[in-house]
Amino acid sequence: MKLAVFVSDYRNTVDTLERLDVEDLGIVFVQNGVNHAAVKENGEPSPLLQKKARLYALSEDLQTRGFTEADVDGRVKVIDMGELVDIIFNDYEKLAWL
Amino acid sequence: MGTLTIGCFSSFIGSMNLDFAFKLASAAADKGHKVNIWFSGNATTVTKKGQKHLKDYSHGETPLRELIEKGVEVCTCEACNLARGIQKPDAVEGVQWNAMQWYLAKIYGSDRVLHIGGE
Repeated sequence: MKLAVFVSDYRNTVDTLERLDVEDLGIVFVQNGVNHAAVKENGEPSPLLQKKARLYALSEDLQTRGFTEADVDGRVKVIDMGELVDIIFNDYEKLAWL
Repeated sequence: MGTLTIGCFSSFIGSMNLDFAFKLASAAADKGHKVNIWFSGNATTVTKKGQKHLKDYSHGETPLRELIEKGVEVCTCEACNLARGIQKPDAVEGVQWNAMQWYLAKIYGSDRVLHIGGE
């Protein structure tokens, strides 16, 4: 199954993703979830970035939080809302919101 | 083109989830997809008309009317609205009132479904 998981929070979602076993996983960081893509704690990036998944972050949510593309980890692709619609329809079958 | 159904179980005006649901629906409609939105719980309060659009403040009525004009089908949970003291005459025109089966039927007929959880 091709599943895109929307991560909208920075604290409470990590364990849920640990239990997911999906053939083709996409993780879309939105709202406060974009912190996973840009913030390091004690010099370490978010553990979510190590997941075997394609990683995306929503550009407008990065910008409203003062991040630029230079702040974003290289494993994460920055997309806008239009590209998000394309990903939803073209690359994944199921969607989940965390 | 496809059909996207968004179930919005967010909080009140000011909720980032509510704002996100509006933006995603608008972007999908702009790309020619058919979009349905279902409001439940506190999200149903966004259907109350007469909201004042304050600068730099989250707002529901204006984007809601814009989505309806774009052809997005919007339905709110009648029970949830009434439970929150919002009667049909108080609501934004063009918003359908129905029960959960509307949402379930739309889910069944959609290519993609995004259920944005409660807060």
